[in-house]
Amino acid sequence: MRAKDIMIPIQDSLKAEHTLKEAVNLLRFAKKGEEKVGVKGLPVLDDNKKLIGMLSMRDVLKAVHPSYMNLMNLSNFTWDGMVESLAKSAADKKVGTVMSKDVITVSEDDPLMECVDLMLKNNIKRLPVIDKTGKAAGMIYERDVFFAIVKAMLDDDYYVINS
Amino acid sequence: MTEEVKTATEIVFGTQFWIATGIFLIAYAVIVSEKIHKTIIALFGAGLMLVLKILEQHEAFHLEEFGVDWNVIFLLISMMIIINLMRPTGVFEYIAIKSAKWGKGDPFRILVIFAIVTAILSALLDNVTTVLLIVPVTILIADALQVDAMPYLISCAMASNIGGTATLIGDPPNIMIASKAQLDFMDFIYHLSPVIIITMVFYVFAIKLIWGKKLKTKEELKTRIMAMNENEAIKDPVMLKKSLFVLAIVLTGFVFHGMLHFQPATVALFGAGLLLLLSKTHEPHHILAEVEWPTIFFFMGLFIIIGGIVKVGLIKWMSVQVLAITQGNMLATSMVVMWFSAFASAFIDNIPYVATMNPLIVDMAKQLWPNLSGLNLLHHPDLMPLWWSLALGACLGGNGTAIGASANVIVVGMSEKLGKRISFGKFMLYGMPMMIMTVIVSTVYVWLRYYVLKI
Repeated sequence: MRAKDIMIPIQDSLKAEHTLKEAVNLLRFAKKGEEKVGVKGLPVLDDNKKLIGMLSMRDVLKAVHPSYMNLMNLSNFTWDGMVESLAKSAADKKVGTVMSKDVITVSEDDPLMECVDLMLKNNIKRLPVIDKTGKAAGMIYERDVFFAIVKAMLDDDYYVINS
Repeated sequence: MTEEVKTATEIVFGTQFWIATGIFLIAYAVIVSEKIHKTIIALFGAGLMLVLKILEQHEAFHLEEFGVDWNVIFLLISMMIIINLMRPTGVFEYIAIKSAKWGKGDPFRILVIFAIVTAILSALLDNVTTVLLIVPVTILIADALQVDAMPYLISCAMASNIGGTATLIGDPPNIMIASKAQLDFMDFIYHLSPVIIITMVFYVFAIKLIWGKKLKTKEELKTRIMAMNENEAIKDPVMLKKSLFVLAIVLTGFVFHGMLHFQPATVALFGAGLLLLLSKTHEPHHILAEVEWPTIFFFMGLFIIIGGIVKVGLIKWMSVQVLAITQGNMLATSMVVMWFSAFASAFIDNIPYVATMNPLIVDMAKQLWPNLSGLNLLHHPDLMPLWWSLALGACLGGNGTAIGASANVIVVGMSEKLGKRISFGKFMLYGMPMMIMTVIVSTVYVWLRYYVLKI
């Protein structure tokens, strides 16, 4: 199996100029396959459909987490309502400033094991697939890789058991 | 005597002189331009000095006169190791939160208390460390009180530069001056701490004028601060006790090192070794990796470059020029050194500046008192005010601009990351008047103490 066989074509995407407010709204309702269930991450594309970043739930969490909290152990000294008020001030940030920029991608013809290897080594759950023209073509989700593995494990037995 | 006077004025302006001068000037220009990292330039310049045989390797590595000042290097490394071991205990978070609560949640009182705490910590630790430990908490507090974080950020940098001036270990220029002039910890306490305490009083009045009325918050927000429990900050009480024990030994060691004939680096190195031992860590790797090696290597490279220009006589030539201007009038020389140092340090790194000024002052002394040597020369009563003027000018000058001191660079860098950017002009708007005010205080102090009262 190759990347293009397992990927789900990109339906929803973001632009760097979107505000975070617009982006989270889209994250909430974005399509995954056929259903509008919301997704945990969306690709950020430029006008030529080239991938320039990814915006995930984690990036949204990071956008409200003040960077000074990384420098010291201050978690004991936060207060109720802090996240909410920082969320309000982060709402107008641009996607371009919040997104993850160093995105790991695969090409359409890369074997599935390459995808698994990249996912494990970089601890990522979504892998954008780039086509031959350099455009973002689809996304590979950890869940779908899992089902491909399940299928390979059970396929023969499954038919044996059921027949 | 006549022979020594002769050597003092005899400088050979040969190829070696011009090559070394060229390396020095180009290195300085590139450091100021910030096109290439200063550590890389310092190491490359040092390499050139050796390859081109301006300095022999032996001179660079083993001679006090021309080479790396290992006293400075080991003092810095050892203090960094001690701080790195103390950091995870949570003691610095504890101090900061405790200070905010002393301020009873009042934004201006907190600003003042933070300034004083920062100044005291900076006098005992290096400035960059102090700023890195205080700034995150000050922004948190500003956020909690919903006030502008900018005054806290700028004040943190300025208070750290002022406080660092007070002791031998507070600021790298002082460490370098102490080593070159063989001054001990108590000399600095006796000569610089009084003026810094006076300066801090002026500083508090100044920030009262600038920010006193602007910083207001709502009563209910103050409860956020008062609800914080500083005891929760302490993550490792056992290690904290060990750290405080070692810190107490080190500080006592500093107080008595002159009497006991230990160099400050000996005291610090012993402390670092002891705390590493007590910490029972099996992984010294990450503690050592957190030492700011770029700064350490910057010092090493710089010492070798300066060694080169000392050897070829450039420094001697410069000292002749300075003496020609001041005509040997020591009060005038002190004042020129202080004010020139202040403005120079405001725009260039005060570390290379002091590294250059140190041998220059020694050379000046050699020309003024050609038949003295050793401590008689370095501690000549007429020379002492010059060392203090250099320290005061170079350290306090750091407040002048956003690039004047490493603490400022850190604060401005952090503010940018937080989306609360402090521009070069904005920093200077506060920094320059503050620098001038503090240097005026120092001028009056040096004049009064060393030239009028002569104590």
